[in-house]
Amino acid sequence: MEKVLTGNYAASWGARLSRVQVIAAYPITPQTSIIELLANFCAEGELDARFIKVESEHSAMAACIGASATGVRAFTATSGQGLLLMHELLHWAAGARLPIVMGTVNRAVSPGWNVWTEQNDTLSQRDTGWLQYYCEANQEVLDTVIQAYKVAERVLLPVMVILDAFVLSHTSEGVDIPDQDRVDGFLPPYRPQLKLDIDDPHAFGPIVAPEHYMEMRYKMQKAMEEAASVAREVDEEFGEVFGRSYGLVEPYRLEGAEVALVTSGTVTSTSREVIDELREQGVKVGLLKVRLFRPFPSMAVRQALADIPKVAVIDRNISFGHGGIFAQEVKSALYNVDGAHRPPVFGFIAGLGGRDVTPEPIKEIINITLANDAPPEEISWIGVKK
Amino acid sequence: MEEAKVIIFKSEAEMPTMAASLASTLYNKTGSWRYMRPLYVDKTPPCNDACPAGEDIVGYLDLIRQGRYREGWELIMQENPFPGVCGRVCPHPCESQCNRTELGGAIAIHVQERFLADWAHERGLKVIPSVSPDPSTPSVAVVGSGPAGLSCAYQLAGKGYPVTVFEAQDKPGGMMRLIPECRLPHQVLDYEIAAIESLGVKIRTGVQLGRDLWLDDLQDYQAIFLAVGQSLSRNLGMSDEDAAGVLHGIELLRRLDQGDKPGLGSRVAVIGGGNTAIDAARSACRLGAEVSILYRRSRHEMPAIEEEIEEALEEGVQIEYLVAPVEVLVKEGKVSGLKCTKMELGEPDESGRRRPIPVPGSEYTIEADTVVPALGQVADLSFLRKDIRAERERIVIDDSGATTCLPIFAGGDVATGYGTVTHAVGSGKRAALAIDRLLRGETLEGFPPLDRNVHAVPRDVDPTVVGFEDLNLVYFEEVPRPRQARAPAEERVKDFDEVNRGFDEEVAVAEAARCFSCGTCNQCDNCLIFCPDVAVLRDGDERPYVFDYDYCKGCGICVVECPRRAISFEEEIKWKKY
Repeated sequence: MEKVLTGNYAASWGARLSRVQVIAAYPITPQTSIIELLANFCAEGELDARFIKVESEHSAMAACIGASATGVRAFTATSGQGLLLMHELLHWAAGARLPIVMGTVNRAVSPGWNVWTEQNDTLSQRDTGWLQYYCEANQEVLDTVIQAYKVAERVLLPVMVILDAFVLSHTSEGVDIPDQDRVDGFLPPYRPQLKLDIDDPHAFGPIVAPEHYMEMRYKMQKAMEEAASVAREVDEEFGEVFGRSYGLVEPYRLEGAEVALVTSGTVTSTSREVIDELREQGVKVGLLKVRLFRPFPSMAVRQALADIPKVAVIDRNISFGHGGIFAQEVKSALYNVDGAHRPPVFGFIAGLGGRDVTPEPIKEIINITLANDAPPEEISWIGVKK
Repeated sequence: MEEAKVIIFKSEAEMPTMAASLASTLYNKTGSWRYMRPLYVDKTPPCNDACPAGEDIVGYLDLIRQGRYREGWELIMQENPFPGVCGRVCPHPCESQCNRTELGGAIAIHVQERFLADWAHERGLKVIPSVSPDPSTPSVAVVGSGPAGLSCAYQLAGKGYPVTVFEAQDKPGGMMRLIPECRLPHQVLDYEIAAIESLGVKIRTGVQLGRDLWLDDLQDYQAIFLAVGQSLSRNLGMSDEDAAGVLHGIELLRRLDQGDKPGLGSRVAVIGGGNTAIDAARSACRLGAEVSILYRRSRHEMPAIEEEIEEALEEGVQIEYLVAPVEVLVKEGKVSGLKCTKMELGEPDESGRRRPIPVPGSEYTIEADTVVPALGQVADLSFLRKDIRAERERIVIDDSGATTCLPIFAGGDVATGYGTVTHAVGSGKRAALAIDRLLRGETLEGFPPLDRNVHAVPRDVDPTVVGFEDLNLVYFEEVPRPRQARAPAEERVKDFDEVNRGFDEEVAVAEAARCFSCGTCNQCDNCLIFCPDVAVLRDGDERPYVFDYDYCKGCGICVVECPRRAISFEEEIKWKKY
């Protein structure tokens, strides 16, 4: 069934099709319509889930943790400050190895007060032990929520499915809603190994002394590593069932490219247009979309970018005192590549606080990269009024 | 207690994925942390507290909610054999106290009571006595077959005593008989009286104490209950009040009950403000007259049931307030009208109501073909022996209902003067419980005061009455009270058909669900859901839940989250040395 849906509604449909059993959420712009639609599904009896109204995002995640620990499928959604308020419990959810999925709308962090898109809210959660998918389109949002549960429940780690504020969250496009039967076939009910059981009570999250704590962290990292290959398998299987797959990264017209743009989120779609236009003009540029950020698909990034002369990373975020976060990750992934094959990485900051990233700044980024053998400065700010 | 075991894992592979104890945590009896203890203690709902007949209202509302109508009817019948009557004519003090008043209006308790009675009557349900009458047990005489007498007889018969009721009139029922059929269809009354008789109660009609029978004739009975009511209508205290065209309210109602339709003429003046005045006025309306009620105080002081006043007004009855008759006007030996004076209200009198005072020089006359005095009734105590004390035209009783001469008891209007069926039912029940105790050789002490209700079936309930502020209002939304349908006024004055309709099943169930169940556990499961220690267990036997004090930490969440105050919380100092 094809429907015209916003990115937020696509996330809600993804949760509905995944037959989530508990939803605990607190409203925040620009996320609110995700949980509004889910609340409506629950109220209309179209989704057999308990919707828990809570008094903060901290409580929302706490409720999801409790629910997930009892062995049910839990979903929440948040954005910006709400996500930051959850921070403590994001660590808890991952440390407790609970396969919660969260629709996360990228919103700039305040102050100054800003509800528009930027990645700093999610990227500052990168070390919490959550998987992170950055989506480019509404269809991808819906599909990724379903994939996310399958991955999460195999590796026992929680997942954020991330979409840009307004550019996706409040923009409608045609979205295919797969049949419930097929989703059920793809995503069987969650069967936890260990769960809260009042008939056989165990302590969850108790003290773990130095002789065991490190092993628990080791197992989390192993799970993250496994998650990269599980995510690939799940995406491929999804493609077989539904005819759509996205990869962990997606190379676009990289053949013979002199410059590879590295993008995430909706900047990717605009960049595709720019690349098509420049290729027409004979400019050799291509693109690598990074969809999975945690675990970072270093191997895939290395394979895609090695031997390309120059790499330009567009970051809609800033790690103060260092630079764009995707650029750091890409550099880190390429560092151990043999020097002869290792391209220089140009880091660009663009589109913070929801400033539009139109074709012009993208062309500027490509031109700067083409014109210089090495990055002219540590961080190149695009469009800053100096 | 299990010995704590230290486990050292040899490799990460042996370890569980998540930080969770491998052993059960049941060894850790967290109840030892507690210094406050929750307890399931049902408390008294304000409706139950206010019911003069001592009904368990919250109990039967819950049964209606569950569709258990037969049990609901049986629950009322334990305390009151007249739910069909009371559901129609009781002034429902329960509703005045209902905590729902604040959130959509009081529960329509009287309509619910009627619903259960009608449901049972439609199915011909019978009271099944738990004890069959035993001729060797002491027998009891009851004088008067009004609600007090029959309530007493019913309770005693239920305990196996042979009971004989003596009734002066031709038909049993006392003042209930005089309630016009538009308020109380007599088949309802007859059904409920028949149910009492079916328990073996003998009713001898046409036998009046002081005329056909004297107290000394009753010496074969081991106990006597006097419930002769107040049969005499108060006089106007004026000359010509015996003139043709003066017809007392209760006389008018009695003649209607006997199938007589007295000619009243076209203009009827009813004097009084109680239910008899309203009943007489509405009956006169139905006989085709234009009716005025003259009441010497204002509407605020009027003792009649509010709904009855409203219904009378709808039917075209005029009520003139602050008016009192001073003279019956007679022309050619027959009433022609009344001379009246206007009144004003002065200081409160002993009844707490403001005393009406005539306004000098305000006299005027009204025309009337019939004058109907309905100024209240007094008891005919001419039969009374000197050893039975009476004061202010009532027989004096103690809290058990005993007169100054045992084994003679008294109750209902002749002793208490409350003037409602429900109070009389409670009064008769009180005497029945006392007579039972007396005949079993037990003490008569310990009865609650006469203005409190008594229960035939004891309840294990804390007497604390739950107020609105005691409830957890988070759980309750405003839901409006349903309206009881009634026939249109212009239709209903044409005959004596019943005015008010009952609720249909769907409305009754929804209305029962509106009840807060104040102070009374109705198994909402909130405590079970909220307990963070899983220390609320389902019991399954007598009580729905029990606390597992081995694990209850005494956090008090259940106490707060109980929507209806059915959980108490008490200090528990375990370490204190006594």
